[in-house]
Amino acid sequence: MADGVDTPTAILAKTAAALREYPFDEISYGTLGEAVGVSERTVYRHFPTRSHLLEGVAGWLESTEFPLPPFITIAQFEEASRARFLAFDQAPAFAFVCARAASISPTGDPEPTFFTRALVAMLATNHPSLNERDLRRVAAALRYFASAQFWARMRTGFDLSAPEISDVFDRSVAQVLTVLPAPSRTSR
Amino acid sequence: MPGGSEPAGVSASDVNRTQEAILAAYAELIEELGTDDVSFRLIARRAGVGERTIFRNYATRVDLLLAEAVWIERRIFPREDAASIFDMPLTIRAAMESYDRRPELAHVVAETTMRGISGATPSPRRAKLEAMIDAEVPSLGAAERRAIVAALAHLDSAATWVAFRREFGMTRSDIADAAGWAAEAVLDPIRFRVG
Repeated sequence: MADGVDTPTAILAKTAAALREYPFDEISYGTLGEAVGVSERTVYRHFPTRSHLLEGVAGWLESTEFPLPPFITIAQFEEASRARFLAFDQAPAFAFVCARAASISPTGDPEPTFFTRALVAMLATNHPSLNERDLRRVAAALRYFASAQFWARMRTGFDLSAPEISDVFDRSVAQVLTVLPAPSRTSR
Repeated sequence: MPGGSEPAGVSASDVNRTQEAILAAYAELIEELGTDDVSFRLIARRAGVGERTIFRNYATRVDLLLAEAVWIERRIFPREDAASIFDMPLTIRAAMESYDRRPELAHVVAETTMRGISGATPSPRRAKLEAMIDAEVPSLGAAERRAIVAALAHLDSAATWVAFRREFGMTRSDIADAAGWAAEAVLDPIRFRVG
């Protein structure tokens, strides 16, 4: 086992490596245990169900393969989202796992992702006078159009590539943002 | 429909009676136990069929789960037939409320549609949306048409309910409101371009 890496992280790294060759559902706990050098029971102890493993590997992929560039303006948020669509296209097997993990019944208390918190903070900072309901509706719509789930549906259901997905994203986001006043008029 | 007992085109699904029993039993068990803990033996007992009958119809767990997702979407979360593309916000609001009443089943639909080409089809009502928009707003350019259909298809899905609940902790009525509102925003540019 690689030094300095704890067992759950090593299991997730091996799961990600296996995803390059096999679909998630065909990766067995036994194989993962062998690859990491621990027993199958140890793998179960860290990931009691396949849902736990799916969530774990998606979190690992989000941070290692699809890191989110920081954004403090809407333009930067849009740029970050488009860059992620391109990254998803480069590693579709990883991106589908992230989309799946975001859609399952959560194994623990559901928590907003870093992406969601950053987006809400960005909107609240740039539009301090926006009422709470519209803030949440705008944030939810933007978050959902920027998600791996959006990429997955556009790719599978509409046969779109990342640039085409970005075009649908741009048009949808522009419509959602019409509720906001022009940026120049909000700062006092 | 020649020789068929079900009226053409309106049949709720293409499953036979045995499959119907299996899929209905599996849906019950998913709601009671979650997706991870349901064995073929348990489904067989609940459905009143032999375990081999399940295997004959669904060779693997994945086959069964994908068929289950399609069945759930058709039977548990059916859409009222919208007459107009401008009815979609209403359709979407109603869909969000129905997903919220059956959360475990909504998660099954959401997750299986995110598996790529080997999963359940992620936009089963795409053709219907395209037919409505072509009939009502025929002057649309290709890119704008695609964007509106794709955005509405994305919003009219179980994943919307999952994302809004999970990422924003929204209640049933807040999810319905936010999803319907987003659909209205998507439709804004074509409201006055009918005909």
